[in-house]
Amino acid sequence: MRGPIFPEGWLEVIDISRHFGGIMALNRVSFQLEQSSISSLIGPNGAGKTTLINVISGLYPADQGRIRFQGENIAGMAAHSIAARGIGRTFQLEELFGSLTVLENVMVGCHVRSRSGMVSCGLALPSARREEEQEREAALANLQLIGLEHKAGDPIASLPLGERKLVGVARALSMKPRLLMLDEPVGGLAAHEISKLVNLICRLRSEGLTIFIVEHNMPFVMSLSEKVLVLDGGALIAEGLPEEIRRNEAVIKAYLGEEVAVA
Amino acid sequence: MTLFSQILQYAISGMTSGSIYAVLGICWSVVYLITKVLNFTTGEFVMLGGMLTWGFHGAGLGLLPASLLAVAATIAIAVVMERTAIRSVRQPSEMVYMMLTIALASILKGIILLKWGSETRKIEPMFGNAPIQVLGATLTPQVIVVITFLIIVTAGLSWFLNVTLFGKALRASAVNPTGAKLMGIDISRFRLFCFGLAGGLGALTGIVTAPITFTGYEIGMLNGLKGLVAAIVGGWTIIGTVLAALSLGLLEGFCAGFISASLKDVFSLLVMVVFLVLSTYRLRFRRKVL
Amino acid sequence: MKPATRFPLPFLVFALAVFLLPLIVSGSYVVGVMCFVALYGALALGKGVLLEQAGIFSLAHPTWFGLGAYVTGIAAVKGLPPLMAILLAAGFVALIAFALGAPLLRLKGYYLACATFSLMLIIEIVIANLGSLTGGHDGLMGIPPLSIGGLALEGDRPFYFLSWGLCLGTYWFLNNLMQSRMGRAIISFNDSETASRCLGINVAAYKLRLFIITAILASLAGSLFCFWIRYIMPALFGFPLLVELITMIIIGGGKTLYGPLLGSLVVMWLREGIHTYLGKVLPVMTAEVDALFFGIIIVVILILMPGGLAGWLERLRPAGRGARARTNLS
Repeated sequence: MRGPIFPEGWLEVIDISRHFGGIMALNRVSFQLEQSSISSLIGPNGAGKTTLINVISGLYPADQGRIRFQGENIAGMAAHSIAARGIGRTFQLEELFGSLTVLENVMVGCHVRSRSGMVSCGLALPSARREEEQEREAALANLQLIGLEHKAGDPIASLPLGERKLVGVARALSMKPRLLMLDEPVGGLAAHEISKLVNLICRLRSEGLTIFIVEHNMPFVMSLSEKVLVLDGGALIAEGLPEEIRRNEAVIKAYLGEEVAVA
Repeated sequence: MTLFSQILQYAISGMTSGSIYAVLGICWSVVYLITKVLNFTTGEFVMLGGMLTWGFHGAGLGLLPASLLAVAATIAIAVVMERTAIRSVRQPSEMVYMMLTIALASILKGIILLKWGSETRKIEPMFGNAPIQVLGATLTPQVIVVITFLIIVTAGLSWFLNVTLFGKALRASAVNPTGAKLMGIDISRFRLFCFGLAGGLGALTGIVTAPITFTGYEIGMLNGLKGLVAAIVGGWTIIGTVLAALSLGLLEGFCAGFISASLKDVFSLLVMVVFLVLSTYRLRFRRKVL
Repeated sequence: MKPATRFPLPFLVFALAVFLLPLIVSGSYVVGVMCFVALYGALALGKGVLLEQAGIFSLAHPTWFGLGAYVTGIAAVKGLPPLMAILLAAGFVALIAFALGAPLLRLKGYYLACATFSLMLIIEIVIANLGSLTGGHDGLMGIPPLSIGGLALEGDRPFYFLSWGLCLGTYWFLNNLMQSRMGRAIISFNDSETASRCLGINVAAYKLRLFIITAILASLAGSLFCFWIRYIMPALFGFPLLVELITMIIIGGGKTLYGPLLGSLVVMWLREGIHTYLGKVLPVMTAEVDALFFGIIIVVILILMPGGLAGWLERLRPAGRGARARTNLS
């Protein structure tokens, strides 16, 4: 389904396709996100949701199509350049840095906001030391946001899954992104951790952040999102408000398709 | 000497070296694909074959028994290495194996150096030294032995891996070790076999080429490295490795003849570096099983 | 977690001990060996950072050391003032590292190791063959002494202080680096290149910069080596040196920054021991025989004590903080 293209759109994904081997992982996907909104992407397993996030964040290029972020075409840019332009993300498998402590992991998020180069760091110049202090404070503040500042010095491996996922979010937040993409943020989380995350997301949105969530957990998605996109077999099959999507026939078929066909 | 016979002459010497690189490349591939170990003692197997034969022969054994003993000893060394050092590594990774086998290669080199000194040694050719004239170029019977050896090894190994049950099981376990184990295949026996095979083939190569290229404690490293080049360029397949090795040997021979003998090693090493770098610019870098 | 200190106590104590040593010990034998410890230690420190912290398996360190020594030596022989020769060498090495690093660092893991290993051999052969410029296999002789402002620095003592100055300076620089945002970035792309790219880290550029910086540090060590020994041969900068450096990193343990320096101390004195006690027993005593013993040590340590000496020391410390030992001594 292709929607109309608004030239003033904030994040525009236009006609994005990507194949792996013989499979079309993404098939002419087009949509838009508005600023300061919470949108979600749902779909059956293998629909291409993580592929879409990877293409937007620049881990690999699309075969065709354009992605415009705040008016600039970012499709095909290197991942670190896209990150520098304000797009942050978390990972389904966390991808935390096992050799660093919790605080240090979050401080890596601050990296993109500092300037000191290798030589100034190596020579311990005052400017480098000042930036180090600033990074530490900013990271600590983000840890407080997720309620884990008491574990700042702990190794990552010692944290349970739910807390590790929250550290991933704090790390991405340290970039001060304008768009935050969360890839399956609540998988494996306990109920109280989920509500913690929900509160955090609402708070971030009220501060102006745009959030794009890839998730399977329906209650979570439906309760939070202002817009829901549905991906199936690499193609966008539905887009709209949560209630509309819940009643959408194509969506129901996509999720329950095999059972219906067998019966 | 006419240009043509010059080219032929360099080609002959190139094919001889190329045969060494080809068999060595096969040794690298067999071990790496089955055990994931980058075995830097591969080159030393060639050195051991030649030097041990010379040593045993000098100690009184006839040439043939000395050769057989040398091959057996090298196989034993390879197997012992695998059983003791390589298996005991606690955090196996390609880099650890690399450092470990480099260290083992240093040990082997040092022992040979201490035992038999640093001069290059010669073994008498097996079928005499009568030069044969071919279109203006000369070759000795030993060259024919070397090339025949290469053909036998290539054909034999291909037959073994594609036709016999053991060989097919070997290939299967390279592709899917877990599946192979589930089928009741004993992987550790295969690892032993591969190391032993590499040791034996390497030693034989050393023995058949020693009459031509001489032997000494330090011939292992460069030859081994060029065998690795051949294996990488050849995509770790038997045919690919042999073709890559022979091409490398030929080009090296021409380089030595027409440009400079002392720079021929630089040439081969450059080929490796350039090939490795260029391959990162391709979208695919396939690795096939034997 | 307290912020990293710039001059941690063990470092200061060590530095003090180093500078007091020549005053305590008489004769130049110990001082001479400790010069080797310092110079090779500086090399091993840089290589350790590349290998263990950054995951860049470059085996080219002997090459940067050798090129630094040769360019300095040739320039000095041709009449260039020593300090300029040193700077010229550093600049030359930086240029080569930049030109070669960009394509080479695209290679992963052991492919990079093979390529840089070949590079090391190539340059060794090329140097040996440029006889008119480099003196060929037999080496470059007649290098004038290092003189600064008319004062000639010769002999072991001045170079002891110069070498240790370089070595401790290298350690200080690398320690600052690894404690800073750059160090975190380096460790992060070693742990997960995917995540660090998405956090704005230009992995390829950082790898290249680190590569060039460690090459320059190696070149400086080579320059000092050249002015100290004043006679250099291609064989000094090849495979045996590589084996020594790897032994130092493995013995000392690569997970900490100071491990390789500890390794240098052990390896250099071990080498002296081997030469002194076994030199009479064994028929040959060359670098290859050293490599034999180092090979044995590498095998033993890789199997029995993979963390090296530093790994063992770190475990003795109370409350080993962090999944990885800290890279400073605080």
